[in-house]
Amino acid sequence: MADNPRKLLMSLNQRTILAWLLLVTMIFSIAWLAMGGSLPPADFTFVNHTEVKSIDPAIANGQPEGNILHSIFEGLTHWHPKSLEPMPGVAESWEISEDGLTYTFQLRDTARWSDGTTVTADDFLYALRRLLGPRSAAEYAPLAWCIKNAKKYNVGSNDLDPGDSVEIELSLPPDAVNSLRGEILRGKLVEIQRGGNEDERVYVVDVDGSRLQFRPIDDTSAVEQSPPPGEQWCRQVLLDFREVGIELLDPLTLRYTLEHPIAYFLSLTGYYPFFPVNRQCIERHGNPQWTKPQRIVTNGPYHPLFRRIRDRIRLARSATYWNREKVALELVDVLATEANTTALNLYMTGKVEWINTVPSAALRILLEEDPPRKDLNPSPYLAIYYYLLNTTRKPLDDVRVRKALSLALVREEITTKLLAAGEMPALNLVPPGIKGYVGQKTDPESVAEAQRLLAEAGFSEGKGFPKLDILYNTDEAHQAIAELIRKQWQTHLGISVKTRNEEWASYQASQRTMKYNISRRAWIGDYVDPSSFLDMFVTDGEQNMTGWGDPEYDRLLEQAREETDIEERLRVLEQAERILMEQLPILPVYHYVSKNMVKPYVRGFYNNLQDHHPVWAIWIDRESEEPNEFMRSVK
Amino acid sequence: MIAFCARRLLWMIATLWVVFTISFFLMRSVPGGPLSRERNLLPEIEKLLMKRYNLDKSWGEQYWVELGNYLRGDFGYSFKLDDYTVNEVIAEGLPISISLGLIALAFALTLGLVAGVVSAVYRGTWIDVVFMLTATLGIALPSFVIAGICIILFVFLIPLLPAAGWGDFSQLVLPAFCLGAPYAAYVARIARTSMLDVLSQDHIRTARAKGVHPTRVVVVHALRGALLPVVSFIGPAIAGILTGSLVVEQVFAIPGMGSHFVQAAQQRDYTLALGLVMLYTVLLYSMNWLVDMSYAILDPRVELQ
Repeated sequence: MADNPRKLLMSLNQRTILAWLLLVTMIFSIAWLAMGGSLPPADFTFVNHTEVKSIDPAIANGQPEGNILHSIFEGLTHWHPKSLEPMPGVAESWEISEDGLTYTFQLRDTARWSDGTTVTADDFLYALRRLLGPRSAAEYAPLAWCIKNAKKYNVGSNDLDPGDSVEIELSLPPDAVNSLRGEILRGKLVEIQRGGNEDERVYVVDVDGSRLQFRPIDDTSAVEQSPPPGEQWCRQVLLDFREVGIELLDPLTLRYTLEHPIAYFLSLTGYYPFFPVNRQCIERHGNPQWTKPQRIVTNGPYHPLFRRIRDRIRLARSATYWNREKVALELVDVLATEANTTALNLYMTGKVEWINTVPSAALRILLEEDPPRKDLNPSPYLAIYYYLLNTTRKPLDDVRVRKALSLALVREEITTKLLAAGEMPALNLVPPGIKGYVGQKTDPESVAEAQRLLAEAGFSEGKGFPKLDILYNTDEAHQAIAELIRKQWQTHLGISVKTRNEEWASYQASQRTMKYNISRRAWIGDYVDPSSFLDMFVTDGEQNMTGWGDPEYDRLLEQAREETDIEERLRVLEQAERILMEQLPILPVYHYVSKNMVKPYVRGFYNNLQDHHPVWAIWIDRESEEPNEFMRSVK
Repeated sequence: MIAFCARRLLWMIATLWVVFTISFFLMRSVPGGPLSRERNLLPEIEKLLMKRYNLDKSWGEQYWVELGNYLRGDFGYSFKLDDYTVNEVIAEGLPISISLGLIALAFALTLGLVAGVVSAVYRGTWIDVVFMLTATLGIALPSFVIAGICIILFVFLIPLLPAAGWGDFSQLVLPAFCLGAPYAAYVARIARTSMLDVLSQDHIRTARAKGVHPTRVVVVHALRGALLPVVSFIGPAIAGILTGSLVVEQVFAIPGMGSHFVQAAQQRDYTLALGLVMLYTVLLYSMNWLVDMSYAILDPRVELQ
């Protein structure tokens, strides 16, 4: 080496440069961390369990999304934090027609967007059109199908009839902001000419007396190709939105007309798919860029300040919200922590004030503490854990077999041995707690009766019974339950059952395509009403997946939809559940309880049937000696 | 050198294309898709969504559209994080994983090299035994066990550090240590072996015979040669550390690439998963490339061909 000093020097230089480079990047990254990463502490922090899909009310779905959306937007009504009754939100009052079909809302003139402009009836109209517009492909749009003609506008462009009033949205340049609508022409549909493939259609429309032909196409192709002679390109042809049951009476008065009376419509208007959105903001920035914290315009108690994917969304109290005096917390952090144990660690070390679930193993220990903890109070809510039975397969097509399986289930053993939080054994589908509704229970455990029924079906002492399997998504808790049920059936009925687990998405696909015999499933009610559960099992319903159907059941649910008398309606729904619990295409296993842990100094947090906890109702009180609202219901 | 780089670049493009194609079709052939939900979609709504995400087209058509987008550097919108493009997710997650990774790497190298060199020099003594036992443990224990032990020790028993989160330096210490620990153990073992090898070579004996100070012999004369195997190990290790250890990121709630990667795969987020696979490929490939180049710098005998 010494005989070639120049080479040595060069290689030394290169080495030094490399080393320095490494050092400099390291220092920079630490500096970046120290500067950009750290935030001042929030007044209230809670774990929202997962990164939200979107903070666009039309795109979002699910409960974690709800926690954010109910904070940053406000609908015509909002739900009372304890009773969940609809209370005046943007609307200060409303009138309901006698037939229960029209709702007229008077908006308050003090409701403001975060940019200072007034929230008007037009914002609600825009939001509904956006929710229902096929280009939004909103998953929760079916919730709005109760509004007159909403379904036809949403998904009916294929089924328009000649004579219908239609709107034609003309094409825009491909580089236009993607949230803009093309120019709208209106007219009467004359006919739809269908081409070879399903998507090929030409709409012949009478516009102001002249017959024009429109062919839907995407914007890029509309520029690249010229339309066939006599035709014009357009984006889409839909039912005229003016036919949909929403009407502006004046800038602050809004009227909805429904397809049929709905007992819970005022609750729906407080649910986030119905929240208003700011048209100016959306049309200026486009989808989904308008949802960025620095751009979004909101009308709720809070406004998003900062968002880091899979870390947190930071909310600050809105300076323009009409009821801002009643909002106590200034800064709120919503963490997207996925792992439950990590969430528990954060809670135990005082970094967060509220977690909404606790790992079962830890829950058992926490509940047994003596003296009892002052921050844990499991409480029933509208959710059920059940098994689907594939009634298209033998021998599950035989109601006696299904009944035998139900009778041989010892549900108490599951809830006491495997579950820690006081989950309730379920003998029916609709969870308890809905005012005025009596759950229709199937018969409780009876091994002798189960054996008799199974013998009657031709499987005396389980002989000749095919080997069935229980499908569940990979998870220790589901596995333990499936194993216990397998054992119960084996001992009580003498049948041998296997368990089979699949990873989440595959499991969903297996259920959907009905490639299973028995499969676990759970359901959380969307609104406090039995129909939120019973509607699942109409013949060929999307959530049914058992192959079961009963014309009488369908008829009763239809009757309940039309029924205006609230009491009478519940009786009809009870009859429907009676049928379901006699036919047993599903085996109810248990009703869930919520598993919130909330620090004793957090006030205004209530247990309720939907496990819904609006942040605007919460305040902090470190002085009070009294148990907080959350713990007051402890029995 | 330039020819070497050009050839590597060509190979990289070919590799990327192959990885892209395989991942693209592999993802779509797994049951379930980005539209499978707990709450099944109504057929009408599902049709609208398929159209919006281009899923109504045949796989072939989707493939060419996607490939075209990738060539333009547009990775598309995430299917499950509707407010973000894949590019945005990467732009947010990668710096986080890089910062964490660099600190983990610093841990791994300092601890590993010191332990390895010391064990080699004091070969056969109790120091050697203790260090190598610890290293074996570090390799054998999965990172979630290390993470669990660390949390119990330093968060609950001795409340020194925060349990999880991202933002300030104290939140980085535990995850960086847990992420770096297995690598430190490997580095220690590799450094020890190669150090022993170098220490028995002629030029070391010569240096010692000439009366060079023992520390100088080890640090200046021997370490340089002993570093080569370590360097070839840390190349791929850097790629692994940078794209984030999934377990460590989950346990410590760190919003880096690892979390995104796992979630994307589980949720069938086709676009995000594909984007991350491609990113991982690029990182792995360029790290190996850097390693090959650094050989030439560290060892004059190596020539790049």
